[in-house]
Amino acid sequence: MDSSFAITGKGYVIVAADMTAARSIVKMQSNEDKIKVLGSHLLMAFSGEPGDTVQFAEYIERNIRLAHIRNTYPLPPPSAASWIRRELADSLRSRSPYAVNLLVAGYDLPTHEPKLYWIDYLGTMAPVPFAAHGYGSYFALSLLDKYHDPEATVDEGLATLRRCIDEVSKRLIVTPGKFKVKIVDKNGVREVDF
Amino acid sequence: MSRSYDRALTVFSPDGHLFQVEYANEAVRKGTCAVGVRGKDVVVLGVEKKSVLQLQDPRTVRKVVMLDDHVCLAFAGLTADGRVLIDKARIECQSHRLTVEDPVTIEYITRHIAGIQQRYTQSGGVRPFGIATLIVGFDPNDTRPRLYMTEPSGIYSAWKANAIGRSAKTVREFLEKNHKDDMTRDESIKLTIKSLLEVVQTGAKNIEISVLDGYNKITSLELPEIEAIVQDIEREKEAEAERKKSRLAATAAGQAAMLSRSADQPEGQ
Amino acid sequence: MEYNGGSVVAMVGKGCVAIASDLRLGNQALGISSNFQKIFPITDRIYLGLPGLATDVTTLKEQFRYRVNMYTIKEEREIEPEAFAHLVSSTLYERRFGPYFIEPVMAGLTKKPSGEYRPFIAASDLIGCLNFAKDFVVAGTASSKLFGVAEGLWEPDLEPEDLFETISQTLLNAVDRDAYSGWGAIVHVITPESVITRTLKGRMD
Repeated sequence: MDSSFAITGKGYVIVAADMTAARSIVKMQSNEDKIKVLGSHLLMAFSGEPGDTVQFAEYIERNIRLAHIRNTYPLPPPSAASWIRRELADSLRSRSPYAVNLLVAGYDLPTHEPKLYWIDYLGTMAPVPFAAHGYGSYFALSLLDKYHDPEATVDEGLATLRRCIDEVSKRLIVTPGKFKVKIVDKNGVREVDF
Repeated sequence: MSRSYDRALTVFSPDGHLFQVEYANEAVRKGTCAVGVRGKDVVVLGVEKKSVLQLQDPRTVRKVVMLDDHVCLAFAGLTADGRVLIDKARIECQSHRLTVEDPVTIEYITRHIAGIQQRYTQSGGVRPFGIATLIVGFDPNDTRPRLYMTEPSGIYSAWKANAIGRSAKTVREFLEKNHKDDMTRDESIKLTIKSLLEVVQTGAKNIEISVLDGYNKITSLELPEIEAIVQDIEREKEAEAERKKSRLAATAAGQAAMLSRSADQPEGQ
Repeated sequence: MEYNGGSVVAMVGKGCVAIASDLRLGNQALGISSNFQKIFPITDRIYLGLPGLATDVTTLKEQFRYRVNMYTIKEEREIEPEAFAHLVSSTLYERRFGPYFIEPVMAGLTKKPSGEYRPFIAASDLIGCLNFAKDFVVAGTASSKLFGVAEGLWEPDLEPEDLFETISQTLLNAVDRDAYSGWGAIVHVITPESVITRTLKGRMD
């Protein structure tokens, strides 16, 4: 039931994920953070099978940190995304696959480009200008087709995100509730109140 | 085959020695010197840097490494062995966080490293790690600095200040003479450099200093900073020597005066 | 095949070959990306198209890059299209009882002992059964439509520019009849001198 969105703009990526933790029809929590900060310039929104999600996200977090300590430099977003995808693809054909969908967002310092990758539990990866997972994606993607602007400022990007969230709140049977929003740009990662 | 215990690692010699472990200690004694000093709320690591070759990239030669955000390690001995051991330790740091959601304590990671070193003295087909390590850092939610040492045999111990590697004995004796409890940050750094200068003749450019000021606060000193402190120490030494010389002169003069006086007044008169 | 969608076609010309694909990545009927590459350069003269399950597209792309690099290093020469086709076949057959859901299409030029180049195309099913065609090969969700259009448009000994027009029209008109393929296209025409790559606009519905 969870929804997550991400939008690239001029020198930044905005990532948003709902904050509800639900078991079946019961809302267990309304302040869960489903966006992991994997590094100074790397974010990962995760959703999917409860249990798998946090387990997988923490496994990724620790390994990305290990790679950073081993090599002095952090993995750049394309490499990190590629490695994460491979973990999911290998997991898919293992005895116990992870059912986790991801949005990996980062700011690539050497090239000064915002990067966004759509990854699903099969290990399908696509570099995209905007992305969404969950039921929210059916509403958000068509809105983003119309309103997304790769040259938009952060405020304009947040306004577009607001449209998506409002639409989902309006049309989806089960409203996702509050959203956590994080931005990554050349100065690193920051959270914004939304 | 009468001397086979000399080679086969897992076999004691008749008088209870494990030769391979002793040879590993020898490799440590041939390695460059590393010093660790604990102050009041700071812990300092200093290492003697082998001067890099003219065309070598100095950044690729590291003897102080980070194991995790709050742990640093310096080693003396075979660099290649060090790399492997460090990698095992780094994996354990992240694995520990993953399984229990807590960073490792300094004692825990020291015990882990020493455990690995011990294992390599008791299994077949392997040789011990030819390195000793100094592990420093702060435990989570604690302000007390920590300093541990491990050896090839798998021994580990906690210290106020210690040295490993070349001329470790000289440096340790120097530290024993000069270490005070509750030193400030500057005093600790100064003592570290001073003790290293006992064995490093080439001065500042062959010294690398890392300072840990608390949990997650690791800085390494830049060359100019180290140079300034070295100059400071040298100035002090000169002043000390000057004082000694004048004191010596005074004593000599005093003695001469005494002698001449006794010559003027012969005994028994 | 219908999970992510996508189609690839390859054709033989006169002393040249062409390979083309759509650019859609979908999640069933929902479109995710309109710039998802499924054709990859293997050498300067071989291109490989991988329509099918998108996770396996990426995994196989990486797998073939690894195996071709190892081949180049060990043999100290570039791989020829025939050898590469069999490498593809054996890689897929390794997973005979738990296959990658991909139907590869490859196009390349073989160097003859005389120094001339001979066009080469081939396709394979998902477990590595090769099909060496002399005219054209198709694969993906629009394959049935591609067969029809290609059958009507293709003729022997087309020059590079005419081959480009033929393969482009074939692909665009076939994917317009397929809900799972489309959203733009990319065409590569491989000639002995160079590779001409052009991105085509298509219907975005």
